[in-house]
Amino acid sequence: MSKFAQLGADIAKLWGKYGGAYLSGIQNTLILALVGTLLGCLIGFVCGVLNTIPHGPGTHPVKRFFLKVVRIIIRVYVEVFRGTPMVLQAVFLYYGLPYFTDNAVKFTSIWLAAIVVVSINTGAYMAESVRGGIISVDPGQTEGAKAIGMTHVQTMTSVILPQALRNIMPQIGNNFIINVKDTSVMFIIGFPEFFAAHRATVGASYLYFPSATVEMVGYLTMTLLASFLLRWLERRLDGSSSYELVQEDQLVMTAGTYNHPDRGTPFDERSKEYEQDGKDGN
Amino acid sequence: MAEHILQINHLSKSFGTNAVLRDIDFTVDKGDVISIIGASGSGKSTLLRCINLLETPNAGEIIYNGKNVLAPGTKAAKYRARVGMVFQSFNLFNNMTVLDNCMVGQIKVLKRSREEAKAHAMQYLEKVGMAPYVNAKPRQISGGQKQRVAIARAMAMDPEVLLFDEPTSALDPEMVGEVLSVMRSLAESGMTMLVVTHEMAFARDVSTRVVYMCDGVILEQGPPAQLLSNPQQPRTQDFLRRILGRQG
Repeated sequence: MSKFAQLGADIAKLWGKYGGAYLSGIQNTLILALVGTLLGCLIGFVCGVLNTIPHGPGTHPVKRFFLKVVRIIIRVYVEVFRGTPMVLQAVFLYYGLPYFTDNAVKFTSIWLAAIVVVSINTGAYMAESVRGGIISVDPGQTEGAKAIGMTHVQTMTSVILPQALRNIMPQIGNNFIINVKDTSVMFIIGFPEFFAAHRATVGASYLYFPSATVEMVGYLTMTLLASFLLRWLERRLDGSSSYELVQEDQLVMTAGTYNHPDRGTPFDERSKEYEQDGKDGN
Repeated sequence: MAEHILQINHLSKSFGTNAVLRDIDFTVDKGDVISIIGASGSGKSTLLRCINLLETPNAGEIIYNGKNVLAPGTKAAKYRARVGMVFQSFNLFNNMTVLDNCMVGQIKVLKRSREEAKAHAMQYLEKVGMAPYVNAKPRQISGGQKQRVAIARAMAMDPEVLLFDEPTSALDPEMVGEVLSVMRSLAESGMTMLVVTHEMAFARDVSTRVVYMCDGVILEQGPPAQLLSNPQQPRTQDFLRRILGRQG
């Protein structure tokens, strides 16, 4: 029991002295994970859409060739960034660019470097998720859109992607939570995230275990909060689940009882028509 | 001679080595209500899907108002906006409400304003009796109601021809009637319609012409009274005996 009391005291001491460093670490971690995930999703969506442009025997040969090249590039991108550790990608890009260009090209901001690495890493995973999301939407939806004259882009933006987005929400959530944790490797290029705060703190205080406890609790709090928020977001996207299946046939009885989008029902005291009728009566 | 809305010349389509349509010739004039009947696998649906360019024919011509839409350089999307299609499986957009389903094509494809599109959509939704459900999502309404919305969605684009691909085949029996009555009133309003169907009563009472397809060719066509009561080809007689025997 005394050990726990000791731990509590050490944590209190750490927090009193370095609380600000931990908090700003948490803030940076969350911002990096959020921005990285959002940009990664964007990359994933672009790759997913490019990957699913239909090309059949009737397609123009130049367009077909172009689509083939695009697919190969995306494939290479996905395989490389999915198949190597993010910590190495960070080092590779951050130190590789100045190495090859004799310092002509380098990341001027540690933020930019970190966001680029997290985004392209997430994008590689999301590209496949988005492709799966698009494929999982019923082909009838595409046919319905084509049949009223929509182009491929219109079909995608109005019909397919909104449904694909809902389908891959769990994956996006997964990626966000993974990013919250995995951005901890960004200390390697000196990005001041939550885990970097731990390294700085223990370097000064030598309280390894108490600081690690703070880190554990901190990360778990962030990820639990994130998964709670994501569930809530998914429910919002689904809309109300309580709907009434209207039983009676409106061909039989609806005169005056239906909801025209511009008009309320004449029985609704908030509707304009109700007021109108009231005025007529006076 | 008045120009046909649609004229199909020597249309062929095969999937791999399987020839589904063989050298189809066929015309559609304004106001025609054509029922296409035949056993499953006879190529009826493929013909309709070829007409709407959802399938690319291997050979032949589809002349729409004097222009071959299979010629290179034709914008398929533009043509499809003029030729509506109603599917067996409805294919309503699941992420939109009933009203949005009927508006999105008008706004995106025909570039109508929201107000105009809404008014136009409401007009057809009221016609098919679905005006009370404008705010419902497709998953919240029944099959027959979905199909009525799908008809309103197609009509809201003001198409010149409307294609129906077995519009009642996926419906529970008690819902077939409501869809057929909507189609009947459309036909009476002068809409040009091509209907792939197994509803012989509809073919007999509503259509101006019945086409019997078998093994990828049009075996016989004519006015409903003639084709349904007095078919000339033995295979047509055989098909009608089987299907009418079951229905009667």
